[in-house]
Amino acid sequence: MENSKIIIGYLIYLPIVIILTIYVSKMLFKNGKYFMLDIFKGQEDIALATNKLFEIGFYLINIGWALLILKISYNSRHEMSSQTLIEILSMKIGGFSIYLGVMLFINLFFFFRGRRKSRQSFKKVTNTPIYNVREEQ
Amino acid sequence: MNYNILTYCIYLPIIAVIMVKVGWMFYTHGEIFLLHLYKQDESIVKPINNLLLTGYYLTNLGYAIITLAYWEKVNNITEMLSTLSEHLGIIIIGLAVLHYNNVLCLNYLVKTKTLNNKSK
Repeated sequence: MENSKIIIGYLIYLPIVIILTIYVSKMLFKNGKYFMLDIFKGQEDIALATNKLFEIGFYLINIGWALLILKISYNSRHEMSSQTLIEILSMKIGGFSIYLGVMLFINLFFFFRGRRKSRQSFKKVTNTPIYNVREEQ
Repeated sequence: MNYNILTYCIYLPIIAVIMVKVGWMFYTHGEIFLLHLYKQDESIVKPINNLLLTGYYLTNLGYAIITLAYWEKVNNITEMLSTLSEHLGIIIIGLAVLHYNNVLCLNYLVKTKTLNNKSK
């Protein structure tokens, strides 16, 4: 049982990473719904469908990446101490968490960009009285 | 159970409490600024604020956890205290710098907004 520490490491790493991904994407796309409704100007079916598709993509990218960086390579003659295990795990989980944060900000940036673009085209094509009322508030 | 693991056990709760508290304060007080910027449009401010809070937690706690990987070796209690205060200090000063930067940006945005509204 010389690899038992590595297996314990995997068993700690996997649940944390998967729960973190699920929580973040739930959070992101629960809030992203409002952006999508704004971008598609209230066409609810298209907005929700786009949101769902983005969510699936987010899951696939992040869980795929989490599994890709799972491998713990430890080549030393001594048995792995629990301190080394904690340090390796902190490296992996902390790194994944920062990566997830950056992905979240990139997604937020796309939401803002889409919102701005849709507003600009809206202004050019139809300058309705309703929009002006909102603008003056 | 050597000194390093003991240090980690002290370090993680402290930093988690500080970060969660600070983030929560930014969340509640920053909402007023955002409401001002988005013309009191509640339906878009709430999602933005939630997402910003989540991003803040992820990146900051991730960074706090990653510092464990580069921790120097701790041999006795005095070393433990000094390294602990050093790492905590770095992170708290970093938070302070980011925070002042944020406040300046928000102030600038709000000012330009009010100037634009006045000149209209």
